[in-house]
Amino acid sequence: MNNLISLGLGEQAVSRNLQDVLVVYGLGSCLGICMIDPQARVAGLLHAVLPERSNGLEADSAAHPSKYVDRGIQSLLAEMLKEGAIKSRIIIRMAGGANMLISPAMTSAFDIGTRNIEKARETLRQLNMKIAAEEVGGHKGRTVRVYVADNRVTVKLVGEKEHDL
Amino acid sequence: MQDMAVFDEDLLNMLKTITDEGFRNAAEGFSVMVGHKIEVGNPNLELVPLLTISSMVGGIEDDAVGVYLRFEGDMPGQIMMVIPYQKALELSDLLMGITPGSTQTLGMMERSALGELGNLCGSFFLNSIAKTVGASFRPSPPAVMVDMVGAILDVVVATVGGVSEHVLLVHANFREGTRSVETDFWVIPDMKALRDLALKKRSDEQSD
Repeated sequence: MNNLISLGLGEQAVSRNLQDVLVVYGLGSCLGICMIDPQARVAGLLHAVLPERSNGLEADSAAHPSKYVDRGIQSLLAEMLKEGAIKSRIIIRMAGGANMLISPAMTSAFDIGTRNIEKARETLRQLNMKIAAEEVGGHKGRTVRVYVADNRVTVKLVGEKEHDL
Repeated sequence: MQDMAVFDEDLLNMLKTITDEGFRNAAEGFSVMVGHKIEVGNPNLELVPLLTISSMVGGIEDDAVGVYLRFEGDMPGQIMMVIPYQKALELSDLLMGITPGSTQTLGMMERSALGELGNLCGSFFLNSIAKTVGASFRPSPPAVMVDMVGAILDVVVATVGGVSEHVLLVHANFREGTRSVETDFWVIPDMKALRDLALKKRSDEQSD
């Protein structure tokens, strides 16, 4: 019997429990970033909302590091390492970062999704970590699940079946 | 929380009056447009935490329809009309004056009708605020999305930038004859600008 652990906005979770399934429901412009060390059998998931903190939000950033892509990735990595993962073995998959507003008047100016994706790639590049698979962008919301038992990551779009990432 | 400090009972009461007038005007405007009478029951307005609003529409992964407007001017902000998918089909029947159950999917025509309803309600709501506090707004064209509730919520969250903010939730009931459909509107004004406008109005009234 799976134990579903649902992550809200700006939350992260790391698990070694093989019954656990980490899940983020209905990602729009937010990004779900998943880290797995198959050997150590540790898996983690981050539900990041914004690319980086803005000026004046230092207190908020300290209280909610997982809310931001850049700090969230570092925070998730730190927790993975604490739980026994080895950085060089970590497999990264990510999904989300959609642009939900396809109205011509709003498309580019409010495309937080694309900015989230770019920040994730940049942060991971700086950490010298590669992205093994990604399903990002577009205009559709996604649900992301991480099955700790078999290192599987799945994505589900509205009206579609869950598929492996 | 900063936004909570902005609100007091007077301001909420003022917004309730504005909401009532704005939504009634929107229903009248829409009735003229579609050629049959659509009414709106007394809309209910409350201040709720942003993180709780998705659960009011159903599950975060459930299908829903969102109609999104941004507005700029003296009080920038955003409005999202959000309705569970099944209810959106019923609302589409109601708006187009066709037999209940006729709308099975949301095509261009149905999306356009829902978009226009969101647009009119948002615009009339803003007009009522403008009239009350003497401010001016420029609303954007509506963007209609059909997706998971969580993904629709992301549009608002990403723009607000905070996860501990509050939203004005307007619960409106659209009626045509004996049938009715309930719809939610998430209204996210620039809280400080709203407060400043309300204070200005109060001081104008006192000096009269």
